[in-house]
Amino acid sequence: MSEPISVGVNLDAFSHAISGIQALRSSVSRVFESLKDGMKNRETLEGREKRFISEFQDTLQAVNRDLNELERLSGLVGRPSESHPLHNSGLLSLDPVQDKTPLYSQLLQAYKWSNKLQYHAGLASSLLNQQSLKRSANQMGASAKRRPKVQPSTLVLPPQYVDDVISRVGRMFPDMTIELFRPNGTSAVLLVTLGKVLKAIVVMRSLFIDRTVVRGFNENVYSEDGKLDIWTKSQYLVFQKVTDHATTALLHYQLPQMPDVVVRSFMASRFICCLYTSFSVSPCLTC
Amino acid sequence: MGVTCVCPVPVAEGKSVQQTVDILHKKLEQLGAVKQGSFCVDCETYQSTGNTGGQPSKLLYVMHNSEVPLSCMALFEGGPCLTADANFDVLMVKLKSHFQNAKGHKVECRGSRYRYCDFLIKVGAVTMSSSARGISVEVEYCPCVVPGDCWNLMREFMQSFLGNNVPELPTVFAAKPEGLFAPADCVDTMTQYLELFNKLRKLQIPPSNVR
Repeated sequence: MSEPISVGVNLDAFSHAISGIQALRSSVSRVFESLKDGMKNRETLEGREKRFISEFQDTLQAVNRDLNELERLSGLVGRPSESHPLHNSGLLSLDPVQDKTPLYSQLLQAYKWSNKLQYHAGLASSLLNQQSLKRSANQMGASAKRRPKVQPSTLVLPPQYVDDVISRVGRMFPDMTIELFRPNGTSAVLLVTLGKVLKAIVVMRSLFIDRTVVRGFNENVYSEDGKLDIWTKSQYLVFQKVTDHATTALLHYQLPQMPDVVVRSFMASRFICCLYTSFSVSPCLTC
Repeated sequence: MGVTCVCPVPVAEGKSVQQTVDILHKKLEQLGAVKQGSFCVDCETYQSTGNTGGQPSKLLYVMHNSEVPLSCMALFEGGPCLTADANFDVLMVKLKSHFQNAKGHKVECRGSRYRYCDFLIKVGAVTMSSSARGISVEVEYCPCVVPGDCWNLMREFMQSFLGNNVPELPTVFAAKPEGLFAPADCVDTMTQYLELFNKLRKLQIPPSNVR
């Protein structure tokens, strides 16, 4: 309620209030002292009684006076200042039942832990940035401010452009046929058939290759409802390995500015991979 | 369905057919193959009656394979092959007047089925009228459909447990004109089995005195 106009006012009122409390305490103890002492020595009984009563009344009035003074002073002191640095969480510390609801201490521990986590995350991100494993088109920090317009455009490409790039790449390799589907919105799903060896399903996000699944030539690529099945792994170990290699390749080739180069080199690597996996290995000479 | 190769294995010296089969099973298990049940391939011979002139009557072979239990294959040696469902046997009974069943010529091959990574191996004993005639080994490499591509790989694999008894590229594949592509049904497999059965049939009574 009372904001600290200046800290000095409150302190003065505080000290006055404290001395008021002391005065009240002493007048109350005087009351009990006079009661304890009883009647003083006088000639007549009436004199003694009168004197005792008048003393008693004096001490009681002193107590009354001090109490009123204290009430006045406490009105000046007001509530404790609300601008302490802990804000709302500090209120938790004011009246704790420590063993049943250790809220404040747990809160402090949580804060310390999250600060440590933030610090470690900063360290980790600086280390990981040296590796450049990122596949997103957004670049952090200064470069984003310098070239704010280049990055988003490579993600928002017209589907026609994507079709053209894919068909151009498809023509590059004779044994490879690419079919383009758009089952879910604008992202393309390619069905790449390599000779009679394998079929690969490549899921794209505009021109970026998102993930790939490689299956054998005789395996079923469609799921029960007739759509392309992009999730089931191959049932043959050999093609599971090829899927792993293909995923490594697509993580390796990543250039956010020139995604068509990426697609081309990925398909080239896939083609080489196909020649490699045509199973026609000559007998190993070393073993 | 992948590329399948069926080949005969000579019986080991001084051992019976069953013992050689057991030796092969043990070798496969040592390689790390997992047993996945049993298989059975059988072949019945039908002779066509009522042929004209002095031509020898063609033999129709009706075969079953436990790999495709609902199917039945009918083929002439070196000729066309028909794949039908299991009711074809009943049809053959109805065609008794045109095709006679040569009952003594039923050939069966029974054995265990093993799976090793992408390979399917079936080792079985060939029996004809309950006398063991020989051993057959069928190796299938499932991921590939072009025999020319994976023949070397299959050969190397067969060498690891058959030793020196590895066959050449089956004639079925050598005779194919276009790109050595194995279709999805069992025709090539059954043709190979038929060749094997006929070869074993022509052998003299085998040294199965040593049981």
